[in-house]
Amino acid sequence: MNRQGWILFSVSLLLILVLIMTAGCMQPPQRERTPVRVLAAGSLLLPLEGVETRFEAQNPDIDVQVEGHGSIQVIRQVTDLHRPVDVIIVADEALIPDMMYRKSEGSAANYTDWYIPFATNSMVIAYTNKSRYADEITPDNWREVLARQDVRIGFSNPLLDAAGYRALMVILLAEDQYNDTTLFDRLVGSQLKPPLVTANENGTRSVTLPAVLKPSGGKLAIRDGSIYLMSLLDAGGIDYAFEYRSVAEGQHVQFIPLPETIDLSSSRYASHYAGAQVILGFERFSTLGRVRTGNPIVYAITIPNDAPHPELAHAFLNFTLEEAERGGIGWPRQLGSA
Amino acid sequence: MGDRVRRIILSGLVMGMLLFLSFFAGCSSTGRESAQAPVTPQEFAGWNLTINGSFQKILSLDEIRALPSVTGHGFAVSTVGIKFGPYTCKGVDLRDLATLVGGIRPGDELWVSAPDGYLWVFDSDQLEGRGFVTFNETLKEIPTPPLRIILMYEQDGKPLTYNDGGPCRIAIISEQRGVVTEGSAWVKWIDRIEVHRR
Repeated sequence: MNRQGWILFSVSLLLILVLIMTAGCMQPPQRERTPVRVLAAGSLLLPLEGVETRFEAQNPDIDVQVEGHGSIQVIRQVTDLHRPVDVIIVADEALIPDMMYRKSEGSAANYTDWYIPFATNSMVIAYTNKSRYADEITPDNWREVLARQDVRIGFSNPLLDAAGYRALMVILLAEDQYNDTTLFDRLVGSQLKPPLVTANENGTRSVTLPAVLKPSGGKLAIRDGSIYLMSLLDAGGIDYAFEYRSVAEGQHVQFIPLPETIDLSSSRYASHYAGAQVILGFERFSTLGRVRTGNPIVYAITIPNDAPHPELAHAFLNFTLEEAERGGIGWPRQLGSA
Repeated sequence: MGDRVRRIILSGLVMGMLLFLSFFAGCSSTGRESAQAPVTPQEFAGWNLTINGSFQKILSLDEIRALPSVTGHGFAVSTVGIKFGPYTCKGVDLRDLATLVGGIRPGDELWVSAPDGYLWVFDSDQLEGRGFVTFNETLKEIPTPPLRIILMYEQDGKPLTYNDGGPCRIAIISEQRGVVTEGSAWVKWIDRIEVHRR
């Protein structure tokens, strides 16, 4: 090789070396995406996955960050933990006025002053083909099937999950509905240590839970949240689970629908539902009391007054409401729809 | 090779190295930027733990650290399936803390709370490690191994940061790795523990 050849070879070698070593660093600079933090009830996480994907596709400069909790914990992230949050979505509309219509710390404004109710849900009894007596259970005989000695049932922890105390409300309401005053005891009360007893005062049927709910045998299972309950159902650890209809549909399991008078789905029966009350074992959150009174399940959405990106939050809120109206797998039913 | 050629090659090499360094700058990271800063003594100055039982005792962080400690593997999961850990957790067994104010008897409860308004209750069975649901790392339920509930002040060999619930939080630990427990009991920022007699 002559001199010019050596020079050309050396320079080419260097360039190749530089290109190899910097591969991966040569991408165009990443555009900074604006984060929109959305805190949502756990039962909405499945449909919100799709909302996030589609919203980001239309708005590539926005990074939607969805985080799931129980509905009370969702609000507490703003009111007690003072985290910057753009959108709040909960599975119990009453929680927003109860917990957010008050002055925010260090400000003259409330945490929020409004919310939009947008969907409802109903409690159902979810099961799979593996469930004992799956080929026998019907909307008419579910009480008898669930009470059988070899049938295992479950619900989520009423202290942690609204679906948990709503499961107990359904059973309390069913006692009246079917004039079956021992149903709660057969399914729940006698399955706990110590046994739970219900009270009936002035037309309100209530149950006061201990601080720690301890199933005494294999019939009853209580788990922290829906995903563990549904996982247990799927694995055959329980035969039937009290769940939201949208969760059962989202998980593609079978379910027994319940009458409107007890499934907590209809505003027409609001005063009737109020006849069931669950008193929690302790005040897990100082900002909310122990008493949970039956009411129609209504999902609601709001934007905190101190949301870091209020315009983007409104855009996401509107997009979510449109998606919810369109419906699909995992979405709770639109308010007012049949 | 003449001087001119050597100079050209040398210049090329130097330019190449500079080019390489300028490209490479910004691609390297020590990974420390996102790490949470360890707790400084000043950060929790004035913090103490109130324990109420048959009588009251107030402990500083230093006094808690001076108590007999236990270490184990901790791994928590939220109600919607977000996992936190695994961690190596060091702290004081809650039963030992209760002993300082008269101890725990069967049927008693331990109320653990934080200034953010969060409260969690353990019964005497749970303080012995019984009655918990445990999962493996894929969140499949597994038989519950022996567990202990501790007031954790050190995570992975470092003092707890505020974001991790420092200076002290609950951890449910096991000698076995990969045991996941339900996170609702892992109370953060604890400043009060009460024994409730039954």
